[in-house]
Amino acid sequence: MSQVFHDIEKKIIVSLKDNPKQTPESLEKSTNLSPDQIRRGIEWLRLKKLANVDESKTSTISLGKNGLESLQKGLPERRLLDSLSAGSKKLSDLQRELGSIFGPAMGLSRKNNWVEATSDQISLKTNPSILPGEKTLKQIGDKKLSQNDIDKNDLSLLLKRPDFIVEDIIKTRIISLADSAKSLDISDSSGAIDVEAKVPEVFVARTHPLKDTLDEIREIFVTLGFSEIIGPMTQSSFWNFDALFTPQDHPARELQDTFYLDGISAKKIATPDQIRKVSESHKKNWRYNWDIHEARKMALRTHTTCVTIQHLAEKKPDEARIFSLGRVFRNEKVSYKHLVEFNQIEGVVVGKDANLRNLMGIQREFYKRIGITKIKFWPTFFPYTEPSLQTMVYNERLGKWIELFGMGIFRPEVTKPLGITKPVLAWGGGIERIAMLKYGLDDVREFYNNNLNWLRSATKCQ
Amino acid sequence: MPVVELSYSRLQKLVGKVSKKQISDSLPFLGLDIESEDKDLVRVEYSPNRPDYSTDFGIALGLQGLLGIKTGAIKLKIKKSKKYLISVKPDVTKIRPFVTGIIARNGKIDDKTIKQFMAMQEDLHFGIGRKRKKSSIGIHDLDTISFPLTYSTVDRNHKFTPLNSENASSITDILKETDVGKDYGHLLGNSSKVPIILDANQKTVSFPPIINASMTTVTTKSKNLFVEVTGINKDDAEDMLSVVATILQKAGFALESVQISGAKNSTPKLEERKISVNVDLINQTLGLELKIPKIISSLKKSRLDASSKGKNIICSIPAYRFDIFGPMDLVEETALGYGIQNLEPMLSPSQTIGEMNPISLELKSLGQIMIGLGYLESLNSSLTSKRVLYDMVNRNSKNIISVLDSKSQEHTILRDSILPGLLENLSKNIHESYPQKMFETGTVFTLDNPISEKINFSCISVHQDANFTEIKSILQSALKTGFDIKIDTKTTAHSTFEQGRCATVIVNNEDVGVIGEINSKIIDDYKIRVPVVGFEISLSDSILKSF
Repeated sequence: MSQVFHDIEKKIIVSLKDNPKQTPESLEKSTNLSPDQIRRGIEWLRLKKLANVDESKTSTISLGKNGLESLQKGLPERRLLDSLSAGSKKLSDLQRELGSIFGPAMGLSRKNNWVEATSDQISLKTNPSILPGEKTLKQIGDKKLSQNDIDKNDLSLLLKRPDFIVEDIIKTRIISLADSAKSLDISDSSGAIDVEAKVPEVFVARTHPLKDTLDEIREIFVTLGFSEIIGPMTQSSFWNFDALFTPQDHPARELQDTFYLDGISAKKIATPDQIRKVSESHKKNWRYNWDIHEARKMALRTHTTCVTIQHLAEKKPDEARIFSLGRVFRNEKVSYKHLVEFNQIEGVVVGKDANLRNLMGIQREFYKRIGITKIKFWPTFFPYTEPSLQTMVYNERLGKWIELFGMGIFRPEVTKPLGITKPVLAWGGGIERIAMLKYGLDDVREFYNNNLNWLRSATKCQ
Repeated sequence: MPVVELSYSRLQKLVGKVSKKQISDSLPFLGLDIESEDKDLVRVEYSPNRPDYSTDFGIALGLQGLLGIKTGAIKLKIKKSKKYLISVKPDVTKIRPFVTGIIARNGKIDDKTIKQFMAMQEDLHFGIGRKRKKSSIGIHDLDTISFPLTYSTVDRNHKFTPLNSENASSITDILKETDVGKDYGHLLGNSSKVPIILDANQKTVSFPPIINASMTTVTTKSKNLFVEVTGINKDDAEDMLSVVATILQKAGFALESVQISGAKNSTPKLEERKISVNVDLINQTLGLELKIPKIISSLKKSRLDASSKGKNIICSIPAYRFDIFGPMDLVEETALGYGIQNLEPMLSPSQTIGEMNPISLELKSLGQIMIGLGYLESLNSSLTSKRVLYDMVNRNSKNIISVLDSKSQEHTILRDSILPGLLENLSKNIHESYPQKMFETGTVFTLDNPISEKINFSCISVHQDANFTEIKSILQSALKTGFDIKIDTKTTAHSTFEQGRCATVIVNNEDVGVIGEINSKIIDDYKIRVPVVGFEISLSDSILKSF
């Protein structure tokens, strides 16, 4: 198929075939295109390697203010000599007549021996028909000329004089067709368009990249046999902490780590039986005076475990696989590493034979499905699980092991007071961290900045 | 989590014949996360339930077990002594009723050891001491003190020279002028009397839980130490003492007892406890089939003593392991001694069929519809600021829900509306090309005994020709396609919207939200140069089928 050209390109090519070396200005004239069209057309042809653009710099000269005056009235010394051609004159009369040019005119004329000065009388000795500089002055006239076209000696005299000559550097672009373009057939009239040309950018509408990650994780859990539960983000301290065996004086419960709602307490937090048994477990094991007012304080959940534990306490399943995915809150300084609000996944397996190796097996399977195969397990501590582990995963991009999900088996001190009799495996962790790895982000805040530049450009399939 | 700084060379001396690599490989398996390493120095994070890991001495004990160099429980060898007495006066009962203590003799203290002791003391105060409220420690140079001591109270004009000072000050001044006084003085409340430990010559030894006396300062020349712990609960004070005693013994000191009497106080026993655990519980929980000898050797590697009686393992637990509550903790100790790295993950097939929550499904579908309509999904925090949520958009803030003491000014209140956040997003994108079309679904919060959480849906279209008709068409199509719901709009006034270009959205005769052109002053204030139209409706009440 013959190459397809834009009308602009065609016109330029035709013009260059007639007149092989042209400036953009002459192309404007010969094609009747606007300067902008010519500029674009030249650029397209250049990118297609069909046109050559030679840029050259030439130095041009034109007359300055005094040069133009001399062109009109004659050089100062010419005016002096002409004035004396009718006979000698008094110095003072000449000064009056010539004004400010008298000084330079007189100096030059005496130096060249064109005039003679005796006491206060000036008289002509010779009046040459052409004075140095006059030829060049006339040659330049009101034009811009290249220096190359001018007698250098004659010019140099004018260059020394103030405001006679203005020098300019001019860039000229000479456009010519490349050899490959000289035989081009541009007579195509099939109506074809340039399918190779660049086109404007349009932006797709899309789901938020973090939502994509959340959906991906949701899907993995569903395929592993887990059902999703949803619960409130505002929780009584009872379910967020007390039911999870976190003593009321535990540092994690302080204002500086947990967001409490100003002046808001829950009236009904749990059944009287649950409250009694949970408080007894605290008193016995942590040895302090458990206070129901502390338990009533409403907080923004610090984990989704408060949702799963309520579900388990209510349903008491013998066998279950459930997960919850949602926002959790920590009172932290916002930084590239930390947000006050982020998403957490939590999975739970209930079953009479559920054990630690199963828990590890589910982790390995989950990580495999998000593309992480290099993992290891380390012991750790959580108030509400025993044993407790954490997963470390190896990140190739960062070249190091990073901590991901925490996991464990709910302590009897948690399950017994709530009437849960079968072992409960639980694990979970932040989603943003996984999403950061996925999108190659180093600043977690980007997920909530709603920066259109990023949202419009982040690759959907990672 | 607290952090402790260790030196590999010091650890190697304390542990025995091990390489640096063996140590660094083993630390994580004690539950210690390596935070940073620099040649000989390593900083590790330890769990607050293991205060014995607040020093390299304690960590060395753990490593010896894990590496099989020394296993079994650490026995405290405390020589009974009648020389050291503390008598407690009843006037402390109401302020800080309990004191306990121990003598540590003939040890060597270098600069690094002092540093470890100080770090340990800080961590114990912060963690199990609950910022010195529950219990606090003082470590003293024994040879500067004349026994017997009394633990009683004094008036606030009592004077002594506190640690790190050269002049005597009154209690009142110490509380007012020293950093520790300012930080912990509140623990003493308003009582006119404060706790004090005085020696036989009526010289001040310690002003718990604030500061020691300068007289008893421990230096590298000190050989013999006296440790006292005071607290509001006897068991907690003894727990803390047991950690310090264990560490001092490992540091090379010989322990001697301190006799304590008076006002319900008594000499600490620091005894081992016995807890038994069933072999089946261990194997079932871990998914292993360990034989009894293997379980016993694993527990010993975790520095516990264990013996079997039928299917039960009887463990002896040293006093300093008060983190162990019951059998399940011993299951974990078995796993640690066995080695977490030796547990092979095992995927058991699922007996259940998974499903997404119906609300998640509906929201996902709505999202797909909005994308079909050309809208980009935005995500904002639930926690926002009064400026964004109310002030910038002319809304009344009388039902504001605030959080206490937020560390971030942009996150101080819970949103009751999504649209203000989207408008703020626009202000940060004024240099991006238009049209800008965005939507968000998410939870909003309102006061309702105590809080009601509902799901809202908001959407904005921003470009030169944006108008009411366009945005109403979008809402109409989204709800028709998503939920087969028809909407009506009825003129209303709303401070966020332009007068005369704003309507209530009605679904089944119920007001579900508002739609219209955004007030031009708001657009100006946000320096947006093109018209903005949008809506926000509640999905929970009459739109989502599964809410």
